[in-house]
Amino acid sequence: MSVALIALSVLWLGLIAYAVLGGADFGAGIWDLFAVGSQAQRQHELINHALGPVWEANHVWLIFLIVGLFTAFPSAFAILSIALFLPLTIALIGIVLRGSGFIFRTYAIDTVGPTARWWSRVFSTASLATPFFLGASAAAVASGRIESSNGNVQADLGSTWTTPFALTIGAMAISLCASLAAVYLTVEARNNHEESLAEMYRLRALIAGAVTAVLGALGLLLSPSEAPILWQGLLTRALPVVIATMLIGLATAASLFFRKYSLARILIILETAFLLGSWGLSQYPFIIPPHVTIDSAANDPNVIVALLISIGIGMVLLLPSLYYLFSVFKLPSSPAPGLQKKEESTPGDLS
Amino acid sequence: MPDLLAARAQMGTSLAFHIIFSALGVGLPLLLCIAEGLALFRKDKTWMMLARRWTRAAAILFAIGAVSGTILSFELGLLWPTYIKFAGAVVGLPFALEGFAFFLEAIFLGLYLYGWDRLSPRAHWLCSFPIWISGLASAWFIVSANSWMNTPTGFVIKNGKVVDINPIQAMLNPSTPYETIHMILACYVATGFGVAAVYAVGMLRGKRDDYHRKGLMLAMAMGVIAIPLQIISGDANARFLVDAQPAKLAAMEGVFKTEQGAPLQIGGLADPNTGKVYYALEIPRGLSILATGDPNATIKGLDTIPREDWPNPLPVHTSFDGMVASGFFTLFVALVFWFLYFLKKRTIPENRVLLWAIVLAGPLSFLAIELGWMVTEFGRQPWVIYGYLRTKDAVTTAPGLNISFLVFSLVYVLLSVALIRLLLGVARSPLPKVEIPGNRQKPERAGA
Repeated sequence: MSVALIALSVLWLGLIAYAVLGGADFGAGIWDLFAVGSQAQRQHELINHALGPVWEANHVWLIFLIVGLFTAFPSAFAILSIALFLPLTIALIGIVLRGSGFIFRTYAIDTVGPTARWWSRVFSTASLATPFFLGASAAAVASGRIESSNGNVQADLGSTWTTPFALTIGAMAISLCASLAAVYLTVEARNNHEESLAEMYRLRALIAGAVTAVLGALGLLLSPSEAPILWQGLLTRALPVVIATMLIGLATAASLFFRKYSLARILIILETAFLLGSWGLSQYPFIIPPHVTIDSAANDPNVIVALLISIGIGMVLLLPSLYYLFSVFKLPSSPAPGLQKKEESTPGDLS
Repeated sequence: MPDLLAARAQMGTSLAFHIIFSALGVGLPLLLCIAEGLALFRKDKTWMMLARRWTRAAAILFAIGAVSGTILSFELGLLWPTYIKFAGAVVGLPFALEGFAFFLEAIFLGLYLYGWDRLSPRAHWLCSFPIWISGLASAWFIVSANSWMNTPTGFVIKNGKVVDINPIQAMLNPSTPYETIHMILACYVATGFGVAAVYAVGMLRGKRDDYHRKGLMLAMAMGVIAIPLQIISGDANARFLVDAQPAKLAAMEGVFKTEQGAPLQIGGLADPNTGKVYYALEIPRGLSILATGDPNATIKGLDTIPREDWPNPLPVHTSFDGMVASGFFTLFVALVFWFLYFLKKRTIPENRVLLWAIVLAGPLSFLAIELGWMVTEFGRQPWVIYGYLRTKDAVTTAPGLNISFLVFSLVYVLLSVALIRLLLGVARSPLPKVEIPGNRQKPERAGA
């Protein structure tokens, strides 16, 4: 196994982490759009409470991916930057408006005033748009239509990322983020003893999950013609993973149906991991099919080894810190050291 | 405008916007850590109120710093794919390490911002340490990558390909110690005087209470330690450039003709077309003395450099003098402040002129950071990687760069307006009620 393959696998794990953590934050923004009526304020508060402490850390996985990609595979990064200039620029603006919209609405002096409402809309609209453009960009890569055989890459204004396949995958990215968020919010609502909210998000998780499954099936149907290399891989080496993805999806739905929420949270994380894993496995050994392979795009092995060592050392510091963050805010069942003795605070209390 | 100019304008705007938040991201956590530590160990409510208030501002500022930093990491590829193909291969490592430092910063920031009511006071205070330490590390790593662009090392070019890459040597390139220290100190200077300016405004409006005095004192303490070191570091940077980047030094000082015993040109406009510096104050042999210590030393002028490799001396010289001038102004303000403080038996001076000077020193310190970056970035032109890759060869072939620049500019205007409104709102909102467990209660003081 080459160091380049190890580096790509590590980056793929980073991608999975970004999807299950950052993706869920986008999903929460999407649900914020649907928060209307008498329970709207309680839903906003639940979402603020869920995102507040963790969204910045979740967002850093994206930075990890970008710098990891341009360090280990600089030429692939350059090709993607040129070819996907437009969708990535739109996604970038979405990421910026999502983060700032969230902070401007949560820290607004008048949290129900018009300014806060406006930034709320910015936050949720950007949360909806960003996964779509990231998903469509990923589909453009998987479809193998980003030409680079002669080294000349053209910026593409739509021919690769507005195909029916790319649009389907973009929509699927939205529904996947929404499903992840709905499952997490069900758990959060239950932990806050908000039974009616928990019921509502349970139902939404089931619906979003079903939509994701339908879009996934549609994507599969479109792949033979639109993403032939991906389709080949899905039928051969990735087949067990694809089947496992489907089974885990069903198990997630079942655990939601029987109200085993903590189990559902673990299952939907696995589901996302397997889904992204099957993509990676199917297009092996390409980074950008059909020309750019892992080895042809790989940087000097010295640099990749230095990167892997740094990641190893970095993770020793990072993983315990992340675990501490999540155990303080997300896992009431596993008591973290340093907690206050008194009863927990009310959600939405920020300063 | 031409695509190259649009891309440079967008990158420059993005950097100019982000740098303000990164400076605060390095400096503010240290202030928080000290204030909360003083609150806990001295059982002092005022320090706790300051820490709580700064936390609220930090939550907003750091979020904007995180998103504006993301813009930059995307733009490295979106605007400069040829650059990142080269730089990513050689100095990707410090970018990745910076990513980890940022990660730790974000994790402990989440714990710190949202953990006031969940963590024990001691655990909460301990969470502030990783924030300022990783802020410091982030600054070091990211500026080491910029240093490499000025003095690229750690690779060999063979048949047009970058080979034999040594990422550690690239990270520890000759400019790294000079540039990183200069930027880190700049963060503390700007944060110190920036925060001091906020409390000076409050005091000028008549809020001369313990809360404002302590806020001013701590911020000025950070400023007075950092600013003299910063001036020494700036001097070391300029001396380093004599051999490392003579073109940049010549542009900074407006030296067109190589000269023995070169004069120091203060101010003025350096016109690259006539090769003259107009309206400058000239100190004979000043530059030779400053740059080398020898009044008769020869300083290389732009005439030793082929015309197509010249940076434009007009913005470089003007920015450089502006940076130096604001540096000396802040030094002077800090010295007067502490001189009066000790003269008046350790009471905060409340002289109106001095307070006004502090109000001015805050924005000037941030302006100095912006100008310093203009010196180093304009001074490196026409190269993006000095001596290896020209900026014009690094820009993307993607169309629509003018539109992209326009859209991002609008985003920055929108963010700036929203941010200023929000921060003013925070400053005007009533102070948080604080409790310190098991302390002797001090009477709470009013203020805003």
